Amino acid sequence: MKDLNNISKNTKDVAFIGLLGALALVLSGLESLIPPIPMLPPGAKLGLSNIVTMYAAGSVGLIPALCIALLKGLFAGMTRGSVALMMSTAGGLASTFVIWLLLRIKSQPFGYIGLGVAGALTHNGAQLCVAALLTTPAVVFYIPWLILFGIGTGIITGLVLRIILPILGRIHT
Amino acid sequence: MFKKKDLLLIIPFLILGVCLLFWTQKSHDAGIAVIEENGSEIARYDLATQTQTEVIDIGGDYHVKLLLEPGKISFQSSDCPDQICVRTGKISSPGQVAVCLPAKVVVRIIGKNSQVDGMTG
Repeated sequence: MKDLNNISKNTKDVAFIGLLGALALVLSGLESLIPPIPMLPPGAKLGLSNIVTMYAAGSVGLIPALCIALLKGLFAGMTRGSVALMMSTAGGLASTFVIWLLLRIKSQPFGYIGLGVAGALTHNGAQLCVAALLTTPAVVFYIPWLILFGIGTGIITGLVLRIILPILGRIHT
Repeated sequence: MFKKKDLLLIIPFLILGVCLLFWTQKSHDAGIAVIEENGSEIARYDLATQTQTEVIDIGGDYHVKLLLEPGKISFQSSDCPDQICVRTGKISSPGQVAVCLPAKVVVRIIGKNSQVDGMTG
C-alpha cells in the first residue's frame, strides 16, 4: 500500500469517483431486476443508487456527485429509453444538490435517515415535475403516494448508507 | 445515525402524505374515466354505467390498448419499454391515475360530482 500513498490525492479522487459511478450503475441495474410490488405506486423504486450520490455529495464534492447523477441518468436512458433518461436525471440531480446543501449546514441537523428521506422526497418531487411536463398536471394525484413511499425508501437508503459508510471510507483514504 | 430533527422532517411529510391520500381517495364509488393523450382529453367513460367489457385502441407509436370493464379501467397493453402503465393494474376510484409516460397517455378517474375536477400545477 506504500506505493498508493505516493499517488497524488487528485488521481486517487478521480479513481474513487469512477468507482462510485460504477457502483451507482450496478445498483440501478440490480434494482431494475426487482419485480414490481403490486401495492406500491407504479414506477416506484428503492433508489439504491441514490445512496452512492448521497455519499458522493458528502465525500468528493458537489460537481463529481452531480456527474455521477448525470451518468446514472444516461445509463437509465440507454437501458430504458428517453423518458427514463429525463426522469432519472432530474431526480438524481435535484436530490444530490439538496443532500449537498443539507450537508453544508454547520450544525448538521439531520442524521442519515433524515438525509435519506430528504433525498428521496426531492428525487420524487423532481420526477413528478418532469412527468407533469411530459403528460398532464393530472399526475399530481400521485403526490400522496410519492410522499409516503419516499419516506419509506428514504429511511432504507439512509440506513444502508450508514452501514456502507465505513466500508467506502476505508477505500477512500 | 438518527437525530431528533429527522423526525421534524419525516413527521410533517408523513401527515401531509396521509391527509392527501385520504383527501384524494375518499370516494370509493366508481367514477368517470378521463383519457388524455398529449395533454388533451380524447374520451371519457362513466365507469358506473359501463356494462360491457371493451378494448379501446388508442394506437400511437406504442399501440396503447385500454381495457374498459364495468366499474374499472386499465392499460391492457402498450409497447413501451417499462410497462409501468400495464403494471399499474385496474383503477376505479376517483383520484386514481394510470399513466404511460412514453406514449403520453393518461387515464384518470374523477368523481361524478367532485368539486375539483381539474388542477393545474
